[in-house]
Amino acid sequence: MRAMKKKTESTKSESKKRIALTVQDLHITYRGLKKTSIRAIWTKLGSRVERFHALKGVSFELEEGKILGIVGKNGSGKSTMLRAIAGIFSPDKGFIDLHGNTISLLSIGVGFNKKLTGKENIYLSGMLLGFSEEEIRAKEKEIITFADIGDFIDRPVKTYSSGMYSKLAFAITAILETDIILIDEVLSVGDAQFKEKSYNKMKELISDEHRTVLIVSHSLDTIASLCDIVLWLNDGDLMELGPVDEVLPKYKEFMANMTNAKK
Amino acid sequence: MKKFIYNIKKYYKYAIYSAKAELKSEVADSYLNWLWWVIEPFSFMLIYTFIFGTVFSNDEKYFASFVFLGLLAWEFFNRMINGSVKLIISNRDLVTKVYIPKYILLLSKSFTYLFKMGISLMILVPLMIYQGVPFTWYMLLCIPIFIVLYILTFGIGMILMHFGVTLNDLGNLTNIGLKMVFYLSGVFYNIQKRLKKKPTLSFYLLRVNPIAFCMNELRKVFLYQKLPSVEGLLVWLGIGLVLCAIGIHVIHKNENSYAKVI
Repeated sequence: MRAMKKKTESTKSESKKRIALTVQDLHITYRGLKKTSIRAIWTKLGSRVERFHALKGVSFELEEGKILGIVGKNGSGKSTMLRAIAGIFSPDKGFIDLHGNTISLLSIGVGFNKKLTGKENIYLSGMLLGFSEEEIRAKEKEIITFADIGDFIDRPVKTYSSGMYSKLAFAITAILETDIILIDEVLSVGDAQFKEKSYNKMKELISDEHRTVLIVSHSLDTIASLCDIVLWLNDGDLMELGPVDEVLPKYKEFMANMTNAKK
Repeated sequence: MKKFIYNIKKYYKYAIYSAKAELKSEVADSYLNWLWWVIEPFSFMLIYTFIFGTVFSNDEKYFASFVFLGLLAWEFFNRMINGSVKLIISNRDLVTKVYIPKYILLLSKSFTYLFKMGISLMILVPLMIYQGVPFTWYMLLCIPIFIVLYILTFGIGMILMHFGVTLNDLGNLTNIGLKMVFYLSGVFYNIQKRLKKKPTLSFYLLRVNPIAFCMNELRKVFLYQKLPSVEGLLVWLGIGLVLCAIGIHVIHKNENSYAKVI
C-alpha cells in the first residue's frame, strides 16, 4: 500500500487536473440474491424475482482534490452509490475506476470487538480498513490524542458511553487517511467541544488539495459550506451535476414543489 | 486464483489479529476462562469414555485416547461448519460497511478453532502417557492428515457460508447433517470392529465420509503405529482442493452482493 501511495504522489505532481474517480453508467439493482428458505425455493420455483433499481446509469468524473456533495431525497440511491464506490457492492452494469487511489468509507466503529480495549480496537479497525500494523502503530498516539477519552482507551469498549464510542471510531477513520474519503451523512458525534473538533478535522482533511471527498448529506448548509460541486440524484437518476450555487437552488425549488404538491 | 492469493497476502495479518482478538475477548471477562478450553474437551472425553467404554462395555485399546482423538477432529469440523453457515449474517456490521474478502472471515474463524484444537492436542499428550501409548515417529504423520482435514473443512465451509447468506433455514439442515455425520464417524466406536459382520458397510462408511476417514487415519498414527493410507489422503486432498476452488469462485462472484441481502 505504501508503494502505491508513493506512486500516486509522484504522478500527482505531474499533472494538476488528474482524474481521481470515474463512474461510468453505473446501474445497481437489488435482486437475485434474495432471502429465502429451502422450502420457499420449491414452492416459488420459476416465479419472477422482484427488482429494485437503485441506480439507473449514473456517470460522472471527479478531479483530484475536489469535494463533491451528493444530495437527493430519501431512497434516491445516495448511500448505495457511496457503498458501490467503496467496493461493498458490485455494479450490475457499468464500472467504477479509482485510478489506483486508496479509498475508505467513513463509518462509525467498523469491526469493533466490544470486549476488547479501545487500543486493541484501533488495530482491529485499522487493519480492516487496509492499513498495516506498522502504519497504525505510527499513528496510534495521534488517534488516542484525538479521540480524547482519557484512561478509557485501555478499558473494554463495552464500558464506553455512546459518545466515547463514536469519538474513538471517528478518530480512527479520520486519522488513518486515504486518498479518497467517502462520508455518509455528516458525522455529528460526541459533545459540543468534540463536535467542533471533528468538524475542524473534517475541514482539514477536506482542504488537503490532493484529497478527493464525497459527502452525502441532507444538510444543505453543510454541503454549501464544504463542497465545490454538487451531484443531485433523484430515484436513481442523475438530475444535475455542477457548481454548488447552480445546483442547490434548483434542488431546493424541486423539493419545495414536491412538498407543495403533497399538500 | 490470483485474486485469492493476493487477498490472502493482504489480509492474513488481519485474520490472525482478529482471531487473537476473538480468543482474547473470550477470556476477557475472567482470566480463568481459558480453563474452559481445557475442561470442556476433557469432560466430553470422560463422558463418552464412561458411557461407551463402561456402560456399553467397549474393549478398544487406549479407549480414552481413542475417543479424545475422535472428538478433537470432530469438534474442529463441527465448529467450522456451524460457524460458517451464519458467518456473514453475524458479521453484518462489517460486511455492510467495509470491503473485505469474505473468506477472510472464515479464515480468521478457522484460526481460533485451530488454536482450540491445538489445546486439545496438548491435553492428548499427558493422556497418552497416562494410558501408556508408545510415542513413535509415526505421530508426525498427523500433519498431512490435519492439512487434508483443514482444506476439506475450509472448502465445505466456504460453500456453506455462501448459501447461508440467502437460505434462512440452512442452519437446520446442517444441524441434522452434522448429527448424522457425528454418529456415523465413529467418534466413540471403531467402525471396522463394530461392523465386522457388514464389511461392505464399514468399507463405505470409512471412505465416503471424510471425517471418519481422517479420524481413522489419526488413530492409526497416534495409537497403532501404522502408516496412514497415502492414496486416501491424496484423494481427499484432491476433493478438498476442488471444493475450495468452487468455494472461492462462488464467493468471488457473489460476495459484493451480500451487503444487499442482509
